[in-house]
Amino acid sequence: MEGSSSAQPSASSPAASKLLANLPSRGLFSSTVLSSNPGGMRVYVCEHDTSPPDGQLIKTNQQNILIRSLMLRKQRGESTSKNGKGVTTGEGSRKRTSERLLDNGASAKRPSNQASSRQDGSNAKIADRDLHTLTVERLRALLKERGLSPRGKKDELISRLKNGTS
Amino acid sequence: MSIWNYVVTAHKPTNVTHSCVGNFTSPQELNLIIAKCTRIEIHLLTPQGLQPMLDVPIYGRIATLELFRPHGETQDFLFIATERYKFCVLQWDSETSELVTRAMGDVSDRIGRPTDNGQIGIIDPDCRLIGLHLYDGLFKVIPFDNKGLLKEAFNIRLEELQVLDIKFLYGCPKPTIVVLYQDNKDARHVKTYEVALKDKDFVEGPWSQNNVDNGANLLIPVPPPLCGVLIIGEETIVYCSANAFKAIPIRPSITKAYGRVDADGSRYLLGDHAGLLHLLVITHEKEKVTGLKIELLGETSIASTISYLDNAFVFIGSSYGDSQLIKLNIQPDSKGSYVEVLERYVNLGPIVDFCVVDLERQGQGQVVTCSGAYKDGSLRIVRNGIGINEQASVELQGIKGMWSLRSSTDDPYDTFLVVSFISETRILAMNLEDELEETEIEGFCSQVQTLFCHDAVYNQLVQVTSSSIRLVSSTTRELRNEWNAPSGYSINVATANATQVLLATGGGHLVYLEIGDGILTEVKHAQLEYEISCLDINPIGENPHYSQLAAVGMWTDISIRIFSLPDLNLITKEHLGGEIIPRSVLLCAFEGISYLLCALGDGHLLNFLLNMESGELTDRKKVSLGTQPITLRTFSSKSTTHVFAASDRPTVIYSSNKKLLYSNVNLKEVSHMCQFNTAAFPDSLAIAKEGELTIGTIDDIQKLHIRSIPLGEQARRICHQEQSRTFAICSQKYSQSSAEESDVHFIRLLDDQTFEIISTYALDTFECGCSILGCSFSDDNNVYYCVGTAYVLPEENEPTKGRILVFLVEDGKLQLIAEKETKGAVYSLNAFNGKLLAAINQKIQLYKWMLRDDGSRELQSECGHHGHILALYVQTHGDFIVVGDLMKSISLLIYKHEEGAIEERARDYSANWMTGVEILDDDTYLGAENNYNLFTVRKNSEGATDEERGRLEVVGEYHLGEFVNRFRHGSLVMRLPDSDVGQIPTVIFGSVNGVIGVIASLPHDQYVFLEKLQSNMRKVIKGVGGLSHEHWRSFYNEKKTVDARNFLDGDLIESFLDLSRGRMDEISKAMGVSVEELCKRVEELTRLH
Repeated sequence: MEGSSSAQPSASSPAASKLLANLPSRGLFSSTVLSSNPGGMRVYVCEHDTSPPDGQLIKTNQQNILIRSLMLRKQRGESTSKNGKGVTTGEGSRKRTSERLLDNGASAKRPSNQASSRQDGSNAKIADRDLHTLTVERLRALLKERGLSPRGKKDELISRLKNGTS
Repeated sequence: MSIWNYVVTAHKPTNVTHSCVGNFTSPQELNLIIAKCTRIEIHLLTPQGLQPMLDVPIYGRIATLELFRPHGETQDFLFIATERYKFCVLQWDSETSELVTRAMGDVSDRIGRPTDNGQIGIIDPDCRLIGLHLYDGLFKVIPFDNKGLLKEAFNIRLEELQVLDIKFLYGCPKPTIVVLYQDNKDARHVKTYEVALKDKDFVEGPWSQNNVDNGANLLIPVPPPLCGVLIIGEETIVYCSANAFKAIPIRPSITKAYGRVDADGSRYLLGDHAGLLHLLVITHEKEKVTGLKIELLGETSIASTISYLDNAFVFIGSSYGDSQLIKLNIQPDSKGSYVEVLERYVNLGPIVDFCVVDLERQGQGQVVTCSGAYKDGSLRIVRNGIGINEQASVELQGIKGMWSLRSSTDDPYDTFLVVSFISETRILAMNLEDELEETEIEGFCSQVQTLFCHDAVYNQLVQVTSSSIRLVSSTTRELRNEWNAPSGYSINVATANATQVLLATGGGHLVYLEIGDGILTEVKHAQLEYEISCLDINPIGENPHYSQLAAVGMWTDISIRIFSLPDLNLITKEHLGGEIIPRSVLLCAFEGISYLLCALGDGHLLNFLLNMESGELTDRKKVSLGTQPITLRTFSSKSTTHVFAASDRPTVIYSSNKKLLYSNVNLKEVSHMCQFNTAAFPDSLAIAKEGELTIGTIDDIQKLHIRSIPLGEQARRICHQEQSRTFAICSQKYSQSSAEESDVHFIRLLDDQTFEIISTYALDTFECGCSILGCSFSDDNNVYYCVGTAYVLPEENEPTKGRILVFLVEDGKLQLIAEKETKGAVYSLNAFNGKLLAAINQKIQLYKWMLRDDGSRELQSECGHHGHILALYVQTHGDFIVVGDLMKSISLLIYKHEEGAIEERARDYSANWMTGVEILDDDTYLGAENNYNLFTVRKNSEGATDEERGRLEVVGEYHLGEFVNRFRHGSLVMRLPDSDVGQIPTVIFGSVNGVIGVIASLPHDQYVFLEKLQSNMRKVIKGVGGLSHEHWRSFYNEKKTVDARNFLDGDLIESFLDLSRGRMDEISKAMGVSVEELCKRVEELTRLH
């Protein structure tokens, strides 16, 4: 072990030296003589009240995640039947705007082109996934609205819908 | 021992699990924050190095530690989550120097399977949310609002069940996590998710990467402008982002920790399982990543955390060895290493086994631990108290006093040692050969006892005898002046400094004199109402040669008085109470605070804060140091002044963080002590004890002393044998060269003084040492080492074969005398009624030591007992056998001599997974289990039915928060039979975090008193981050959580001594006991460890 560990760096020493150049420094650890731990460390004794400020005692939302996701789907389902056409894109854009607002609130400033390119990728997938979550009946209804054949298995319906819409 | 137990830490956890660097204590200050399991340490980075600031106890085992900066804040906040699903956000208030709780909460869920790979807690780099992965299939989000406050948390379902790592990606418009997971075909993939805060759901992220390295276990998010993530595998490192993919092969290694070097994320330090430190560089052109480079820098301890500090200095935190402060040099040293280790921070963890021995045969226990793992394995010798390294000693009976004198006023070294006896005074001096030789100071009176001696100004020496004061030239050694006591009066006590003499004669006369060049001037005389018992004028004011205060102890009214000098006006009179007269008073100053110490004739010591202006005495405290009269003397070591209290239990009094501390000196009885700082023996002390005068140097003034013996392999079991003065260890050498080669196990014999390996016995391939015991058998005078082993074959789940080896130490060599094959792993060996009791897989087996016809000996099976899952830990007491089972808690067996059988007597029916057992007394047994709890069970012999008698009743429960590997009876401190704490039996434990703790069994009344004190302390000392002490100490495992009972938290109780006076008064009022009494009782407990 020792042999190999000592052999390797010497063979590659110039490279490592170069890579180690300009290590960040803010002027700390600059003294030539470093003092080693003078004395023991003070043990903290907490005599003040440590309860958190109002509203900062955090609890977890008790809503069951399964119920929450079902409710989300229901919401989406409702918006589907209301909007009729262009369900998935409408859904996506609503979500996007709401999250944009949130992002701005948190002052996240990023190049916008990067953002949009990423979202395009994800939106296509949302649409895909959303379709899978719909029942066969709803898919058939959607196909009928678009004047497409409502026959076949669920996968076929979805692929027809996708080809039809995109 | 009893069921009322007091648990206290003698050595705090040293296993460093997390570390981070940020501006925590102020916007300008850079801090290193280190987590040591149940404590965090805050250090300040300065140009001179690391400056320790604060050691903070946390009521929980720290699972994650992160620094972050909410929007609009100028300094970082600290996020801590504990293993029991509590979290808190702490802020440093620099005005009050307090840790303020910004938020806290409970993040547990009622349903959910705890993750196998540890808890993950991460904070979005844009501070939009905190992410927690605590249960399989769930990702918990605690969102921030736009003011940086936390909102209600919610869970998101995570489809990936076997998560290895989760990190937040930098530079994403929406908070995005990257997940490294394993699928059910054991392939590993990386996936990204955006967190949709409004919908409380995941949205598929910008990219994913399937089938990454099979050993990938770590993700490193790369900050802007590069962004993306590094996936660290065992054979490759990959850089991955939405639009780039770069990979490099590496030498096979498991990366344990990383530290980012540059703010832009172009360089990282990686620490692997073998302790090798690599530098990983992302090469890039502007914002486009062009490739990766990796270089080996050198070797460190096996890192669990790496924090780049500044200016090429790096902190390496380790769980398996000492943590280190290292410097990265641009040029390699002669061995080709770029790493320079500048400092090592002692880490005892993991303590796998230990033994308690008394190597110096002083009645002082020492603990020898098997510490560290893999290449960082070592033995550590842990000793309490301050040792004296003897350099010379002379036999001298009846010493009544000792003083050192210099040959001239400005000589830095002492020359003479004045030793006073009942009817003579002898003077010793260093001769040219650096030997102590008797000499003479002509001006001194040597036919009588000397009461006091001191150096004086103008190259003079002062000697006080019962009839006179003699002023002698230190150069010519001739008498220059003499002051005689008035006729009819003799001097009883006297003291002096360089310019002043204060003495007391019979009849309560106090006489004050000043020293001039060749003259002694009587300045003032005072008549007191009672006899004077002790005096002091040690100058602690501005003038180092002149004191403006004198302390006087009195007979009859038992008081101490402070007089002003030179006018001898009474300023303060303090009645001590009681009937014991003060025997020694001392004015002294520690860390700029002035104290008056007063020692009583019964071994108690009082200390007061002394106001130098007004002479007022405040904050009276009392401690018990011994049982005999104490003599107080100052001395200095490493240019700090300490006080030596000579008595039957010599003690050094020193100050740390403006608090007086008492540390035992490892000597039996000292009657007198004085500093004797000579050129030949600098910084030495002269100590009079038991008819002997010893010159020696003193250890560093601290409580625990730890010596390290690096082994380069891991010691797993240890045992000491008094007769051969050796240690035997089972050790494991890890093969690092190739994966095919299995580890090699050894039995090694070490000398107990030098700790050199003097003999080695290599075990077979796949065989590993599981237990070791030093014992003798009936009808055989030899003392043997017995070793139990197991053949750990890769294809077997449980070992089915093992051996018991019996060795004899002959001429410093291990000689194999007998061996016996067993049908499983020999997890434990005990000496039992002159026979050998072994725990072999699920069986307890008793072996006889038989003499064969040919004169050789063998182990012969006598009887056994089945009925365990795995009998891992066994302790015996008489005919009783206590077994700690893998998962069936504690059971009690009995050996029946007549029938030659072992039967079960009783068991605890809870399903505790044991990690250690110990027998406290005939009826009470102590256990530690793998959820970090302690519990005690009691045999119920008086039960009415068989069913009741067959049940071990759980009588005590406590959450220790430490994984205990071993209990041993013994004590770290010297036990004196006549002291109060000497009667308290103790058990020592060692834990994975390097904690050495003491469990002391208390009498019931003391337990009740301390329990009341503990509940009062809980009201005054709050848990950092709002964590509750009661909750922390409650017994907790998957099945139940119940309040602690019959165990007390000594660490909390002993922090009484750190409280401010106001808080002490508060508790004193609530308890109805004086502060003085409380301090004394708590101080006594601190002497248990």
